[in-house]
Amino acid sequence: MSQSPTMRSIGHENDVVFDNIGMTFDTGAGVTRAVENVSGAIPEGKFVSVIGPSGCGKSTLLDMVGGLLKPTQGSVSINGEKVTGPRRDTAMVFQEDSTLHWRTVLDNVAFGLEVKGISKAERYDSARRMIELVGLKGFEDHRPGQLSGGMKQRVAIARALAMEPRVLLMDEPFGALDQQTRQFIGRELLRIWEKTRNRVLFITHDIQEAVYLSDEVWVMSARPSIVKEVVTIDLPRPRPEGTHALPRFRELEDHLWALVKVEAEKTLGPGARLA
Amino acid sequence: MVRWAILAALIVILEVTTRTGMISPALMVSPSEILARLVSIVPTERFGQDAARTLTTILIAFTIGLVLGIPLGVFLWRVPAAGRILEPFIVTGYAMPTLLFYPVLLAVMGLNAGPIILIAASMSLIPIALTTMVALKSIKPILHKLANSVSASPRQYYLKVLFPAATPLIFPGVKLGFIYAVIGTVAMEFILAAQGIGFRAGFYYRELNTADMWAYIAVVIVLSVLVNAVLTRLEKRIRRDML
Repeated sequence: MSQSPTMRSIGHENDVVFDNIGMTFDTGAGVTRAVENVSGAIPEGKFVSVIGPSGCGKSTLLDMVGGLLKPTQGSVSINGEKVTGPRRDTAMVFQEDSTLHWRTVLDNVAFGLEVKGISKAERYDSARRMIELVGLKGFEDHRPGQLSGGMKQRVAIARALAMEPRVLLMDEPFGALDQQTRQFIGRELLRIWEKTRNRVLFITHDIQEAVYLSDEVWVMSARPSIVKEVVTIDLPRPRPEGTHALPRFRELEDHLWALVKVEAEKTLGPGARLA
Repeated sequence: MVRWAILAALIVILEVTTRTGMISPALMVSPSEILARLVSIVPTERFGQDAARTLTTILIAFTIGLVLGIPLGVFLWRVPAAGRILEPFIVTGYAMPTLLFYPVLLAVMGLNAGPIILIAASMSLIPIALTTMVALKSIKPILHKLANSVSASPRQYYLKVLFPAATPLIFPGVKLGFIYAVIGTVAMEFILAAQGIGFRAGFYYRELNTADMWAYIAVVIVLSVLVNAVLTRLEKRIRRDML
């Protein structure tokens, strides 16, 4: 069910490979080690989630793959190329609303392609397809101000997908949504992903969400963070609605919860006990 | 509707108080007389020249304010250290009655539109620069992250993200900048000039020609109301489309 990340052979050359990366921040009040010695790989066509206690550097890890942060130790490579900055074949979805409020849904979804210099006809064409895919057909001319939080996140997802990324980086994309919206949009994401099958690195706090969506869940430890365990989610795909009720789903969820609990207790300080 | 009623009531009150002598004719003449003066002044060639001079002075001053103010605001935002160092100077410039430099400028540059443009432009520039800086500072960090993540070029970053995001917040400063350009221009003309609506109002003031002075003041009021209406409408549109 699980294996130590260091025991796995590190990465095929087409993978997203983390080669012993680390990140330290100089905060002025001292050096904070956010991430330490993370090695691992996201294989082609796999959905990988990262869970761990708050502030364990999950987002830092994602920003390093996205080229927004440069690791202070080791390197990330995609298809054998070292990541030195934002790449054209990665796309990000953030937790916060990142829609451009002065643009219509159509122009928001087309934004990434517009920046890439794709012609208007071509980018609108892909944008319309993505809008349909995320279930926002009919809202092309609406502005984000007229949409709910869940719909805005779908716009952000459609924008990322329209760029046809080889690696999709999602930083708690459903973190700000209510439980029902979150489950619904999670199912939608899975439905879409089963068509596109790009590599996904998905950051979340939600264990159930991680199990439901992923092929692998990486559990990170409290600071300084290492990948403590890689749990393979061996549930069959596609995963229909009843998946959450499978005994295997419960087992995986319990196992992950036990791992996360230990780390969360460390973060919360001595004596903290989570039920 | 209520506003129009208030306006009508004010005009009626003025008409009554000036006609009955409650307000001395040396201070103000009745609105009907102002209107009569306007009718005879407006078609004259001299009025056309005055209006043209004042309007072009305002527009030049405002354009300078815009062209220098926005890049200055961007600079103060991009280089926070410069912002911290320069802010006291700019705020002082805001608080200081710049018109005190007018006589000196007149002595240096001569009696033409130059000194007026310089003062009106410097008055107009400051609110534009300050609101541009504040607007850019208040843009959500996530938008910077987004632009970065899609590898936007600096040009795309400014034109497709920063300026559209900041426009609704910059606009009140631009509006203020325009109003300052109007105030600066008319006030300098009033003090000393060779031409212009403000000059004419000041000229009749010094001649104790109350009726003509009020006619020119009315022109300034109408001009301000019109400009303000246009800017407010523009602002509403920008807010509707961009917020």
